[in-house]
Amino acid sequence: MTDAEIIALINISLTEEFELKMEDLKPEALLFDDLELDSLDIVDMVVVLESAFQFKIREEESIRQIRTLGDIHNFVINKKNALLN
Amino acid sequence: MRYDYVVIGAGVSGITTALILAKSGFDVALVEKSPRIAPLIRGFSRHGVYFDTGFHYTGSFGDGEILDLFFRYLGLDDQLEKTPYDPQGFDLIRNLEAGFEFWFPYGYHRIRQRLHATFPAEKDAVDTYLQAVEATYHAFPYISLNTDAFSVAMPSGIHGPSLQQFLDRLTDNRLLKWVLSIHCLLHGVPPEEIPFTNHACIVGPYFESVHGIQGGGGSLVRALDGQLAKLGVAVYCGTGVREIRFAADRTLTGVYLEEGKNLDCRGCVSTVHPRELLNLVPESLFRPVYRKRLERLEETSSAHILYARCDSSLDRMARANVLISPHLDLTGLGADQALQHRPVYLTAARSKKARSFKAGLIAICPASIAQMSRWAHSVNGKRPADYVIFKENMGTQLGRYIETACPEVAGKIDWADCATPLTLRDFSHSPFGSLYGVKHKVGQHNPLPLTKAPGLFLAGQAIVAPGILGAVVSAFLVCGIIIGHCRLLKALRKYR
Ligand SMILES: Cc1cc2nc3c(=O)[nH]c(=O)nc-3n(C[C@H](O)[C@H](O)[C@H](O)COP(=O)(O)OP(=O)(O)OC[C@H]3O[C@@H](n4cnc5c(N)ncnc54)[C@H](O)[C@@H]3O)c2cc1C
Repeated sequence: MTDAEIIALINISLTEEFELKMEDLKPEALLFDDLELDSLDIVDMVVVLESAFQFKIREEESIRQIRTLGDIHNFVINKKNALLN
Repeated sequence: MRYDYVVIGAGVSGITTALILAKSGFDVALVEKSPRIAPLIRGFSRHGVYFDTGFHYTGSFGDGEILDLFFRYLGLDDQLEKTPYDPQGFDLIRNLEAGFEFWFPYGYHRIRQRLHATFPAEKDAVDTYLQAVEATYHAFPYISLNTDAFSVAMPSGIHGPSLQQFLDRLTDNRLLKWVLSIHCLLHGVPPEEIPFTNHACIVGPYFESVHGIQGGGGSLVRALDGQLAKLGVAVYCGTGVREIRFAADRTLTGVYLEEGKNLDCRGCVSTVHPRELLNLVPESLFRPVYRKRLERLEETSSAHILYARCDSSLDRMARANVLISPHLDLTGLGADQALQHRPVYLTAARSKKARSFKAGLIAICPASIAQMSRWAHSVNGKRPADYVIFKENMGTQLGRYIETACPEVAGKIDWADCATPLTLRDFSHSPFGSLYGVKHKVGQHNPLPLTKAPGLFLAGQAIVAPGILGAVVSAFLVCGIIIGHCRLLKALRKYR
């Protein structure tokens, strides 16, 4: 999977599963302020990413630093790369 | 009619939630689909014997222990008489494959001593296990009342280790691992799936102390009923909630009952099975991801339950239950295997008359509701003839199996009635008739007490843990969110 394909899959999953609008899905969008997600959504976000990419997410440090949609893209890209290596 | 809160489902968690909210000054209504409250634990009588259904014994109910404290807070204590199980052996656990049996005591020091004596080469493993169980259980919010109200958080077992992984790291002794896993029968999730943290929170209370209640679940229900009346909770029975209603801005406005009545309210606590909850809310209330999460929660297995009469008393079972497992391997807990390969849980029933020596025996054997698919559309009281034949055969087979596995009761029992997974489903209005609702399982995200819908909260065995204590703790947890953990913990501490 290329990085662009990963980003596209994340964004499609978020429109389908979170009913977010595609046009709002800018990498700089803040999850809590712009996309109106909250702490209760974190578990569902983990569920969506785990099922889209077939990996398990632990409460790693890098997930706690996620603020924007772009952070999610990078988190998944890094995780995918780490699994390949 | 307008209430502050409507609680949906009058099982132990719903009743407890209603009592706490009413005690805190709210106007509360409690809605139960069954004709009477607490259908799961109220028990029934046949041939002069009272048979318990969803309650036999509980942990942490000794004087001053946490369930005792909760019941005193709820005003139940003076109506309940505790019946202690035998501290030297509250469960007789028997493994047929290994030809091994063990009286499982309670009190950490006794368990440690007994296990050390039986497994002298495994003292470190035993100590590590017991210490971890005790520490994990006591760290759970509301089990420890010293929790700082700002950091009330449920421990997450989602990433494991499972009980199996935890034990595999400690020892290679299969028999010891079996001894420390057999109580998976108390939550219905096999050792390879149950997170160690959840297992610890369910067995931890039993390691402290084990008690029943004089008169069984029926007495507990009467005491709860009395408190509901005393605290002015409006109880609606025999009519389920059909819809939880929301305004266009997603504010919760009330519930609509099957009988056609509206109950207006500002908040709602649902204690029904998460799958049933989805039937009660508008499709658009939750995002697809959350709906799917609830739909995909795995279920614990159901059971065939035999209720037998017994003309001589089962002496040793007066203060102990018997857990029999044909194999050392508890993978899957056996619901899909042939009957004689499944574990079985035996407990005594008591005569309704104080002086009668007549008693009874209850045998619970895991079973899958999938095996009942032929009759899935039938309802209690109106089952087809071939179902009745199946049930009679099942009763006979189960009776024979028990007499072989537990020769102590051979020739003494005469079966009176039998429950199948469909009986469990229809009596307790749980969609799959499972023993303990949805699993608590490594890798599975169970719902939390808070939902994304303002005013809608969740409690019940799916949220915290199965068992009377799990249901009660789930109620305190959700009420702590509603009225403030600080306030509730402070109120509870007065009863220490
Ligand atoms: C055979 C058996 C033996 C057990 N033995 C023990 C034991 O010895 N010790 C122990 O601690 N635990 C035991 N348990 C487990 C314990 O009984 C349960 O974990 C606990 O009672 C669950 O309580 P709850 O309130 O979460 O769920 P429930 O009691 O299932 O409450 C949910 C309620 O919601 C109602 N309902 C459903 N749909 C609607 C609707 N639409 N509107 C209104 N109401 C609705 C149901 O009728 C039900 O009363 C046993 C369970 C079983 C099955």
